[in-house]
Formats: sequence, C-alpha cells, structure tokens
Amino acid sequence: MTLDFTQPEARPSALAHVAGDVLLMAETAAIFGLSQDDAQRMRQALLAGDVSAQEELSRLGLDAPSQAVPPKLNVHPVRALALTVSQTCNLACGYCYAAGGSFGGADTRMHWDVAKQAIDQLITGTVPGGGVKIAFMGGEPMVARDLIRRSVAYANERGAARAVQVGYSLTTNGTLIAPEDAEFFAQHRFAVTVSLDGGREVNDRLRPDKAGNGSFDRVARRIAPLLERGDRIQLGARVTVTPLNLDVPQVVDDIGALGFATVGVAPMISSPTGKGSLAGQDFARLLDAMTACGDAWFDAVSAGREHPFANLATVLGELHRGHPRSHGCGAARDYLAIDSDGEYSACHRFVKDPLGAMGNLETGADDGARADFLNARTVERQTPCQSCWARRLCGGGCHQEVLHAGRPACDFVRGWLDYGLRSYKKMMVTRPDWFNDKA
Amino acid sequence: MKDKNDASPFQMNLAVERDADSNPVYAEPVLGNPVSTLMDSGVGNCFPGLEFDLRQLDVRFFPGLVFEFLGVTPAGPDGNQGARLVYADPAGDPIIADHFTPDGPAWVVDLKKQFAGPEGSALGGGTWYLHFVEQDGKRIMMYDYALYQNAAGLTPYEGETVWWIIRLIEPDKPLTIGLTQRAGDGSPTGVPVVLTGQRRRFLNEEGMIDPVYHPGELTSSMCSPWTHDFRDCACHYWASNHPDVVLGEVDDPQNMLANRTDKDDSAQAVTFIDWMRRRHDPLKDVSAQTTLPKARPDRYDPYEINLHWQQLDFVLQGQEVKETPSTAELLSLTQYETVEHMVEDLSKQLAGMELTLAMEYLYAYFSLRTPDEVTAEQERAWPGLREDLRAARQLILSVALSEMTHLRWVNQTLWLVHKAFPDKGLGPYEPCLDATKTLNLPGGKVADAHCTDAYDFVEPNLDDAVKEAEAHKDDPNEVVRPRMLRRATQGVLAEFVEVERPEGHLDTEYVKLVGLLRMSKDPYPEGLFQLAVRIDSDGMQHYQKFRDVKRFLAPYADQEELYLRPISVGDPTDKRVKPAVDAIKTALAALREAYLIEAELGDMPKANDKIKEARTAMHDLNDIALGLAKDNIGVPFFAAFS
Repeated sequence: MTLDFTQPEARPSALAHVAGDVLLMAETAAIFGLSQDDAQRMRQALLAGDVSAQEELSRLGLDAPSQAVPPKLNVHPVRALALTVSQTCNLACGYCYAAGGSFGGADTRMHWDVAKQAIDQLITGTVPGGGVKIAFMGGEPMVARDLIRRSVAYANERGAARAVQVGYSLTTNGTLIAPEDAEFFAQHRFAVTVSLDGGREVNDRLRPDKAGNGSFDRVARRIAPLLERGDRIQLGARVTVTPLNLDVPQVVDDIGALGFATVGVAPMISSPTGKGSLAGQDFARLLDAMTACGDAWFDAVSAGREHPFANLATVLGELHRGHPRSHGCGAARDYLAIDSDGEYSACHRFVKDPLGAMGNLETGADDGARADFLNARTVERQTPCQSCWARRLCGGGCHQEVLHAGRPACDFVRGWLDYGLRSYKKMMVTRPDWFNDKA
Repeated sequence: MKDKNDASPFQMNLAVERDADSNPVYAEPVLGNPVSTLMDSGVGNCFPGLEFDLRQLDVRFFPGLVFEFLGVTPAGPDGNQGARLVYADPAGDPIIADHFTPDGPAWVVDLKKQFAGPEGSALGGGTWYLHFVEQDGKRIMMYDYALYQNAAGLTPYEGETVWWIIRLIEPDKPLTIGLTQRAGDGSPTGVPVVLTGQRRRFLNEEGMIDPVYHPGELTSSMCSPWTHDFRDCACHYWASNHPDVVLGEVDDPQNMLANRTDKDDSAQAVTFIDWMRRRHDPLKDVSAQTTLPKARPDRYDPYEINLHWQQLDFVLQGQEVKETPSTAELLSLTQYETVEHMVEDLSKQLAGMELTLAMEYLYAYFSLRTPDEVTAEQERAWPGLREDLRAARQLILSVALSEMTHLRWVNQTLWLVHKAFPDKGLGPYEPCLDATKTLNLPGGKVADAHCTDAYDFVEPNLDDAVKEAEAHKDDPNEVVRPRMLRRATQGVLAEFVEVERPEGHLDTEYVKLVGLLRMSKDPYPEGLFQLAVRIDSDGMQHYQKFRDVKRFLAPYADQEELYLRPISVGDPTDKRVKPAVDAIKTALAALREAYLIEAELGDMPKANDKIKEARTAMHDLNDIALGLAKDNIGVPFFAAFS
C-alpha cells in the first residue's frame, strides 16, 4: 500500500480518524469498528471540518470528548536508569547521537563510585516489593565489562535487601561480546539489544570501526553464544534507518537470518553531525518500505509463522491496549540516565545535553526539573500536536529529536499509524487470539 | 438521534471508561494475613526448623565446597557416612567469584590461589570426605578411634555427628579443613588435601541469606513444606503465608465485568469464602465461617491437603482464579496529590463525616425494638423476629462503633502527619471532633425519596446545609444532603448501604489516602499505612453489614411496628433528654484532651484516663438513650455540636 501525503485523507483532524472502516477517537484512543457506509460518511464528515464531524459522531452515538486539560504532573520515583558506563566506542558510526560514544566530550568511563551511588539512589527510591530496570548504555558498554558485572552483583544485593526486583538490559554494538558474557547475561536474564543496520554490505558502510573496517562479520560471530542462550536472554536487533538502508524488508530479512527473533527499526531524525538523517521524500520511501515489511510480518503471523519485524507488533499491541499517552516515552517520567560525571539526564540521548539536565548524584535526581520538563513536553501543550488525531498514540514524539530537529516526520508517523489501524482490524479478523496476552 | 442500523459502531480495543454499573471491589485487596502480622509470627520463630532445614546452610560451610551429610544405613556402616564432598565449585560461589577487584579480603585471595593450585585440581576427581576441621588451634578428626586386636581402626562419624561439629565452627576467624579419600571400610587413604579459609557467613550485613543458596535449596531436605499444614505439629502455621478467606470466581465468563465481578450477582464481589473449603458444590458460595471450629467440618483437614492440594485455587488480588487471566488489569490506586491536600481533606471532611455517620447510625440503632420486647403472640406469627432484631441491633451498633474508631484513626493520622512534617506549614494539630453538617453520597443509586427530598428530619438552623444540598440537586454523580436523624426504615437502610458502598465518596477518599502513603517517597510515620488500609477495608464490611440488616428486616417492612419504635427526635432542652446530650459533650471534651496529650506524646496515663472518661460517658449515653427510646424519644445527637 502506498500512501500519498498530498492525499486529502491524510489531513489531520483533531477529533478522530478513519482508517479503512475503523474509527480512532483521538482523545481516548478508543477504536471502533464501523460499517462501510458509516466509515464513508465519517470520512467525509472529518474532511468537512470539526462541526460536521461532531454531528456525524453523535449520529453514531459516539462522543468525542474535548481535549484534555494538560494534566498537572506528579513526579513518581524513577523506575529505570541508564548507566552510561562507557563514554567511548570502538565503532565510528557517522550518525551516532553520542557522537562516537563520547557525547561530544572526552572519552571517559564511569567510575565505580558513580555507578554504586546511582544504584543506591535508584533502589532506595523504590518502594519495597517494586521493581526497577537498569540499562547499560554507552558509548559501547562492553568496553566497561567489569563495571557492568560489579554493578549487577551490587544491585542484586541491594535489591534483595529491600525486596526490589532488578531487571537488566544492555544496548551494544555486539563486537566485544565474549562467550562468558552470554553466560553472565543468561544468569541475570538480560535483555540485550544489538545495533545493526542491515546485511553485511549495508551494515559495514554505516557501522565501520575507527579504522574504517566493517563490523558485520565480527558481530555475527560474537552473538552466536547469545543466541544459544535464547532461553534466558531476550535478544533483539535495532536498526537505525538512514537514506542508505531504506530497504527495510531486505534489512529485516538479512538481520533475521542471523537468528534474531525481533528486529526493530527507527528512523534517524536528529544526528549531531547532520549526517545520515532522513529528510523530505525519504520519509515517503520509508513508509512504503515499512508497510511492505509490515505486510510480510502480517502474512507470516496470519499463517502461524514467526517474523522478526517488531514495529508492527508493537503498534498493534499499543492500539489494542488503547492507553492514551501524554508523552512519547518514559524519559524523565520513569526513566533517567546517569553519565560518568554523575549527572542525571532525561534519557540516554540527553547525556551532556543541557536541555535534558536532571540534577546530579550529589543532590539526587532533580524532581523539579523532571516535573518542569514533563509539563513542558506534554503533548497537550505541543503545537501542532493539538490539531492531530494521532497525538495520543504518538505522545508527541521523541523529546530529544523534537528539541533538536523539530517534527519533520509527522506525516510518516500518521501514515504508519493509519496502516497500523487498518492492520489492527485485519488482525482482529484473522488472528483475534494474537491479542490474548496484549492487555 | 442515532439511526437504526444493523452495524452500529462497536468498540474493538481496550480503551475504556469506568463502568458505572460495575460492582464494588476492593481498591486494594488486603486479604490473607491481617496487617498486624509480623515477621516474628513466622513459623520458624516458634518452631525452629520448620521454615527451612538448618543443615542445608552447613552443606556450604566452606566457601567453594558443597558437602552432604550421610548417615548410617539400616544395614550398618558402609564407609560412606560423614560429610561427603558433592562437588567443588569455587567459580559458582559469590564469595570467590564476585570479587572482581583484587582488593578482596586476604583470606579470599589466598583461598582462590589454593583452588587454582594443586589442592583444587586434586579435588576435581575421585570421592572426597571431610577428614578434619581445625580452628583456634583445636583440630577435630571426623572418626571414632577404636582399638582391637592391637590395631587402631578409624570408623567415620556418621553425618549428624559431623554436622554437630561443623555447627561449632565460628565465622570470621581462620579455619583449616582437611579432606581425604577413603578405602572400602571407610578408613582414610592417601595424603589429605588441606584448605585454609573461613567459615561462610550465612547472612550478610543486610541480614540476607547468602546468594550462593539457590531457591529451594534450604528446604530441599524437608517433606513437602509448601503443601503441608503444620497444625498437627501443634501449631496452625503454614510454612508460608496462605490466604484464609478469598473472593470466589465468577462462574459464567459471559457474566464477568471488567473488574472480575459478576454482573448479576453483586454478592459474589463481597462474599468471602473459605479458601480451604472442601470443593463440592453446595459449599462453594457459602461465606467463610468466623471461627476455626465452625469452619472445620467444611474444610480440608491438614492431613488431607497433601491429597487435594491441586484443588486449592490460585489467588490473584484476593480472588480465586482457575486460568490465566487474559484481560484483567491490575487494579490501580488513586492518591492525594500532596500531604496538604490530604490533611485538608481529613481534617475538614473525613473526621467530621465519620462522626456524623456514627451519630446517624446510633439513632437508627436506638429506633430498633429490643428482642425482649417481642410479645409471645408476635413470636408465634414471626418466629425469626427476635433473632433478626438481635442481629440487626448488633450489626448496626458494630458499624457505629467502627465509625467512632475511624474517627480516632483519622485524628491519629493527622497528629502523626503534623509531627512528621513540621516544615510543611501545617500548623499545630487540632483535634477534629465536629460533626459535618452535610453528607456526600454517591449519585444515581440513591433513591431521591430517601434523602434529598425528605428534609423533615433536618434539625432547625441547618439552612446552609440545606442550601448546599439544593445546589447539588442535579449533580448525577454526587448527592449532598443535610445530616438527619432517622429510624432504621428500609429506605434509610438502603441509603446507609449506598453511603458505605466501596467506590462511593467515603471509600474513595480513603483509597486516596492509601495511595498517597503507599506511593510517597516521604518518610511517613510507621503504621500509618496500615491504619489507612484498615479504615479502607472496613468500608466493605460496613457495606455488607448494612446490606444484611436491610435484607433480614425486609420481611417486616409492611408492619414497621414489629421492629421499629415510633420514636421522634427529642427536644434537647427537655430535662429527660438533656443528660443524653451532656453525655455526648462530656465524651467529646474528654477525647479532645486525650488526643492533644497523645499528639504531644505527653502524659500518657492522663490521656488514658481521659479516654476512659469518654468511654464511660458513652456507656451512660447508652443507658439513657435506651430509656428514652422506650418512651419513644430519640436522642437529638447533633444538639451536642451546636
């Protein structure tokens, strides 16, 4: 399916949206199935403007509630913390948000005291019986293997003493994984995300090491032990889509062939070097590629087979849950990152970025700054989000991208969600059982 | 107006509004062990050894090694008895493996070297037994020394004896052990392997059991600790917590609402059943009995649990579940936004509402006839009347008493919070002992005839309250009415049921309190959370009690004189009535003084005396009110507040 952005149907309404014969209520994220006739009438009413759309909605017995007043936000305890254990990397990807791992500063590694204190604050701030996640990020976190191990041992001990369950994840380029790491990850049930951008040729162009050599073969070799412990390691691949790897179906197939059960893709929108970002018509091409890949996923799942493409599965799950969002993600709300200097930031992408500064270890995470950030960033306060039907699904997008690159990809996001809504209907017909565990 | 067509819109996803017709449920089910349960109530505290097998700690007494304690078989010693090395696994022992820094304790560094050297490699093959232990210069060999026919024979101690010896080893000081292999008769052969280190500290500084022990390891040598009840070991504890009473499942999945309650059977959501009940049908929905002797005939005996444990259901959030719940969401908590909000609400609203309710309930209580007033003729025509009256009086009184208890708890919460947060500008604690002039009731469910329109019972000079009520007249969500003293008619009881309905106004406030105390990072005084949970959970009981009272008085509704006295509110200046009002005033004044003393942690014996004074006044009130009731005069309770 190709979606032309100039097509009037894509014009956003603030009230609701019709995709195929399903109706999405913008404010509540409720999804209704309509008859073909009703869908057609609704579509035209939406095009004609809010007044006629309201009329049509009430004819259907549906109320579109007015847009919510931006909520006054309470800041809750942080539930996930990214430890930027290493601000250095052995690869040199051109588009990296961390600018080669160092976030624009000198190569540094986190000192044990910083990690220890951050873990203390995370666990002390959690009610007994609760759970927290620790994400090891970089740079390339495996450069700091010893620190990771020590942190896990310490967090387990502190967590056990306070009856707090600690979960772990790691985002890595995969080139430094050793066989004994797999055992360690399995023991502590890590979720490991490996960054890869495609098959050998594509990946090696986008993800060279500092000497300019490709990294694909090394990664393929190094992740074998992780795949073997797939029973206890949740292993996924994440693709950064740039103009050079827009062929998403091919990319997902190539990475899936390595054995990854899930492959998620994300467009590159804000890059510190300006290199590798998508722009203009790239997004239309990306949408085509994503929907093609989505179709492949759908066909496989309908036939009871597995397919690694994660994005559509995520969208369908979220649509089904139907929780309207105020933010695109949990940054600053549930999640913070800590860097080697002991400075907190809104997430791993805001490390060393004053726009996302959230206090430091000495005084603890700055709840005032968190609340201000969240209140300012809430989708209800964003323009032009108030006039978009997708606002409560997308939540306003990635804070870091929006603050640095604006919102160049909204048409793409709407196109993708429109496709998601149509697929939701199809899935409800062909595999309603697929949603059984998605509540 | 919506067109009639066959394909009306249908919602597909789970984005839902709250279902207004839903049954009440506990905001936070607190079932099973009462909140007063302490860690010390654990079975191991009274019956050491029942929680886990202490010997299992000692199988890992020496870091890096795992032993087993073998006894003597009925066939006699076979040479295997004693402490046999199961395996050496220094890498799997956190004491050795988790020290990634070279700056671990010296004895650990040294022990690592031994395991990496010839000692470690020797233990890698063959069967090894503990030969000796040595501490503080004392060495104990693990053998009986016997002389016969001029030869010395070494017979290994059996496992339990070896364990006694190992129990005597102290941590935090050097320990040397020797291991040997054995000949067929159990005598040692070859050169012992000697290791030096320290005994494992079984608990770390946090009091946690060393992580080297795997889940289940400490109980692995016990007989079915999870399924067996220790009642026959002289105590009623289980190895771990188990629910005593639970809510039942909805029989017909078609009838299940989103909150897992039954659409047609509102009792299902509030009726506790005995989790240990025998699973045959008629007993299924019967409320749990209140005492163990009463419950006994209908529940599995402890010895039967091993046979029927598969029938005991899993319990999720206080409710039995037979299969994986697919769509049930965990119930979420609302909460007060800030301490200031909470203090404002508790002091301006809740405390006073508890008092107003207590007074209204007491009035209803005194309007009921006493069982001994039932005549022989009435008894013949209505054989259950006496018992119904007895039960109704007892239940209403218990709710009124419970509201008075809540009044104290709300005050206690307030004074503790005032004390805990002196910097919040909450000001000094003031006892909240004034009844509110209005009550908020959930809208919709309350029949108008019973409240908003019937102001006949409103005291004079309550115009403000009446005005406020009028202002809310069209609010579909909340009905506000002035406080009133009314007899326990069916209509009034119906309203009491709604006032106490979980998810109603009153309950929601306490849910917010529970939420705040649970989620807050602020250091609230200990015990506050438990208090809040108890008040909140009581609401469900009140709801059930009034529902029951209404139900068993319903048959007499057409002949009110059977169960109700024709009382009306007395004149507070009447000399027969005045003592009743004075008794209430005395009680309130005494409580006020007592609370102020307690809040300051002042002269506690004096506070106790004041509480006793209040209690005595309430007993006096009871006697006076009963006397007045017989003359068809009701106590003008609210006169004590004007």
